Amino acid sequence: MGPGIITSNVDNDAGGITTYSVAGATLGYKILWVFLPMIVALVVIQEMCTRMGAVTGKGLADLIRERFGVRITFYAMVGLLLGNLGNIMSEFAGVAASMELFGVSKYLSLPLAALFIWWLVLRWSYKVVERVFLAACLIYFSYIISGYLARPDWGEVAIALVVPSFSFDSSYLVILVGVIGTTIAPWMQFYIQSAVVEKGITVKDYAYTKYDVIVGSIMVNLVAVFIVICCAATLHPHGIKVDSAKEAALGLTPLAGAWASTLFAIGLLNASLFSASILPLSTAYFICEAFGIEAGIDKSWGEAPAFYWLYTILIVVGAGFVLIPDMPLIKVMFWSQVVNGVMLPFVLIFMLLLINNEDLMGKYVNTRTFNIIAWVTVAIMIVLTLLMLVTAIFQF
Amino acid sequence: MEKLRVLGEFFFSQIQGKPIYDHQGRLVGKLRDLAIRWEGDTPRVTGIKYARGIQKHIPVEQLAHIHVTHIDLRHELKEETLAPLQPDEIYIGKWLMDKQIIDLKGSKVVRVNDIKLFWLQSRDQQHLVLNAVDIGWRGLARRLGVEFLFRRLENHLVWWEFIQHPEDKTGSLRLRQEKQHLDQLHPADLAEIIEDLDYKKRADFIEDLDVEVAAEAFAEMELDIQIEILEHMDSQQASDLLEEMPPDEAADLLAELPEEKSDELLNLMEPEEAQEVRELMVYEEGTAGSLMTPEYIALSPDITAAEAIRQLRTLAAKAETIYYLYVLQEDETLIGALSLRELIIAEPDTKLEDLMQTRILSVSPHESDREVAEIVNKYKLLAIPVVDDNLKMLGIITVDDVLEMLVPDRGSLDTFASLFVRKRAMK
Repeated sequence: MGPGIITSNVDNDAGGITTYSVAGATLGYKILWVFLPMIVALVVIQEMCTRMGAVTGKGLADLIRERFGVRITFYAMVGLLLGNLGNIMSEFAGVAASMELFGVSKYLSLPLAALFIWWLVLRWSYKVVERVFLAACLIYFSYIISGYLARPDWGEVAIALVVPSFSFDSSYLVILVGVIGTTIAPWMQFYIQSAVVEKGITVKDYAYTKYDVIVGSIMVNLVAVFIVICCAATLHPHGIKVDSAKEAALGLTPLAGAWASTLFAIGLLNASLFSASILPLSTAYFICEAFGIEAGIDKSWGEAPAFYWLYTILIVVGAGFVLIPDMPLIKVMFWSQVVNGVMLPFVLIFMLLLINNEDLMGKYVNTRTFNIIAWVTVAIMIVLTLLMLVTAIFQF
Repeated sequence: MEKLRVLGEFFFSQIQGKPIYDHQGRLVGKLRDLAIRWEGDTPRVTGIKYARGIQKHIPVEQLAHIHVTHIDLRHELKEETLAPLQPDEIYIGKWLMDKQIIDLKGSKVVRVNDIKLFWLQSRDQQHLVLNAVDIGWRGLARRLGVEFLFRRLENHLVWWEFIQHPEDKTGSLRLRQEKQHLDQLHPADLAEIIEDLDYKKRADFIEDLDVEVAAEAFAEMELDIQIEILEHMDSQQASDLLEEMPPDEAADLLAELPEEKSDELLNLMEPEEAQEVRELMVYEEGTAGSLMTPEYIALSPDITAAEAIRQLRTLAAKAETIYYLYVLQEDETLIGALSLRELIIAEPDTKLEDLMQTRILSVSPHESDREVAEIVNKYKLLAIPVVDDNLKMLGIITVDDVLEMLVPDRGSLDTFASLFVRKRAMK
C-alpha cells in the first residue's frame, strides 16, 4: 500500500478543490456523474505506470530517455519542470489561503510550511515519509464530514451519480472540461512510477499495488464527490457563485455551520501542504532520472545531491513566489495549466508506446482488451485536456 | 603487436543521420544506426543500418571514408554483401545511447550522453571501434544541437575499458575496474568498496575475487560487516576465506558467530589451520591471548646464521612478521630472540645461541590488551612474544594488532576518482 493512494489523493490538490467547489456551487449535483468514469480512467492510467515501474525497475523519465532519446526527453523535462513549478506555486497559494481562513498571515505560514515539508523529506526515510503521506490522505475525509454536515438530499445525489446529464450551455462545458482536466496531470505518472521503483516493488508483489491504485482512485473521487455535494447542497440553491476554495469555505459558515467551514479549510490546508511536498518530489525524481543521476528519499544528501537540491530549490522558489507582493499568480497558474495540458498528450502516448514494448515489458505488455480501454481513455483525456486549454485561453 | 593508425575520431551523434554515398557518389541511404559486437575490452562496429525498414546492414569493411559530413563506400551497394544483425550484436543508437551508467556500488552516476568512435587502420584492415562514453554536459549539448554554446567545456569521457558488458539489452551499463585492477588495489581500499555495497552484492563481489586478495580485504573490514558477510556466504567459501586470514583474526571473528555456525566453518577448514584457530579461541576477548597469532618465526639455537637465513626464506611467507626471530628449544620454551638486522650482519657461521638476546620482554596470554599496548608502545616494539608460566612460546602480538585496537576507524577514500578522465576537446 502506498504509491497509488498517495498519488491519487494529491490529485485533490488546491487547484482540484477549487475546481470542484466551483463546479458544485455553479452546477449543483448535475456534474456528479463524471466521477464514476473518472475512477476508471485513473485506474487504467496509474495501473500502467505501476506495472512499468514494477517490471522494469525504472522510472518513467528513465524509460522515455532510453527509448525516445535525449532531445525529446530534454524538451519534455523543461516543459514539465515549468508546468510543475507553476503548480507548486498554486499549492503554496493554497496553503496561504487556508491559513488566512484561520487568521494566520502568509508571511508566517508559508516559510513554516516550506520548512516543514522540506525537513520531512530530508530527515526521514521513504518508509516514514510514506506513512506521513498516508496519514495526510486520511485528513481528506474531513471533506466527507463537511459534505455530510451540509445535509444534502441523498436521493438526488444517488441519481445524479449514475444518470449522466449533459448540456451545451457554455458554462457547463467549461466546468465539465475543467473537472476532468484536473484529474490526470503529467506529474502523477512520473511520481507513481518513481515511488513504485523506490519502494522496490517487483512483479511478485505487484498484485497488491494494483489494489493500492484502485483504492486510491476510488478514494480520491469519493472525496471529490463530497466536495461537490457540500457546495451543491449549500451554495448552489442560494445562487452563491464562488471563484476559489477559500470563498467556498467562507460561504459555508452561514449555510452549513462553522464546523463544516472549518473542516473544509482544514481539508484545503492539508491538500495544499501535501501536494506542495509531492510535486517538488515528483519533479526532482523525473529530472534526475532523465539525466541518470542518483535520486530517492532513501538516499542521503551526499549520495543524491542533485535530487535534494532540486527539491529544495523548487520549494523555496514555489513558496517564495507567493510571498512576493503583487505577483501575477493567476497568470502563472494559467500558463502552468497550459504547459501541463500540452505535455499530457505526449506523456500518455509515450506511456502507451512503452508499455507495449516487448523488449522492456516482456509478457507484461498490455492485453488487447486493456489496450483498447487504455487508448480510448487516453484519447478522451487528450481531447478534454485540449478542450480545457482552448476554453482557458478564451477565458483569459 | 600490430601497429594502429588513427584515421579519424568522431562522436556517434555527429555521424548519425549523415548521408552514405557509393564509389560513384550515388546516395545509398543515411547512417541510421551502427551494429556492434562486444569482443574483449573494446566493442567494434560490424555494420551500418542505412535505411528504415531494411534489416540488413552494410558491413563495415565496405567503408572507404568517414567524414563528419558524409560517409563514402568502396563499392556499389550490392544486396548479397549485406548482413543481418547477428545474435551477439547490438545497435548503439538504440541500445547504448542514453543508457544509465552505474558504478561498482550500484549508484546511478549519469547517462550515456554520446559515444566516441575511433576509425583505425591496422596493417591490412580498417576498424571502427567504440573508444569512450561521453558523460559530460558538452556531450548532452551536442545531442541537443547547441554544442557551440559549450565550446569552452571539456568533454567528460569514460574509456570503454571501464565499462562492463551489459547483461541484457535493457540493463544498465556498469562501470568496472578490471578484476586484475581490483586485485591490485590496496586491501584497505578494496575493503571500503565492499563495505559500501549492499549486503546482497557483497558475497557475490567477494566470490569474484582471488581468495588471497579477498582475505586481505576481508581482514580490513569492521567486525560487524565481516560477520554479516560470513553469514550470507556459502559455508565452503567462508571457510576458504578464514583459512587465508591470519589465525588471530579468524579466531576473533569465529568467536562472534553462533557456536553452531563457527563449528561448521571450523570443520570445513584444513585441520591444521582449524587447530590453530581453535587454540586461539579459548582466550577471552580483551586479553593478550586473543590478539596473538601463532604465525611467528621459530628457529633452533643450534643452527648457524647462514642456516637461519636459509630457513627464513621458506618460513617468511607464512609468518606475520619476520623482523623478530624467536629462538626456541625442542619443547618450545622461549630462550632468546634476535632481530633480522642482527641476523644479517652476523658472521655466517656464528651459532644463534651466541647471537641471540636472552633478556626478552614477553607477556602472559591473560594480560589485558591495554597492558600489551603500553608495553609495545613504551619499548617501541614491532612484536612481542606471548608465553605461558613455564615460558612456553604461545604466539606473538604484532604492532598492527595493537594499533588496530587503539585506532579502530579509518577515514574514507574516494576510490573511484581514478576511473574518470578529463580530456581536452579534440578536433
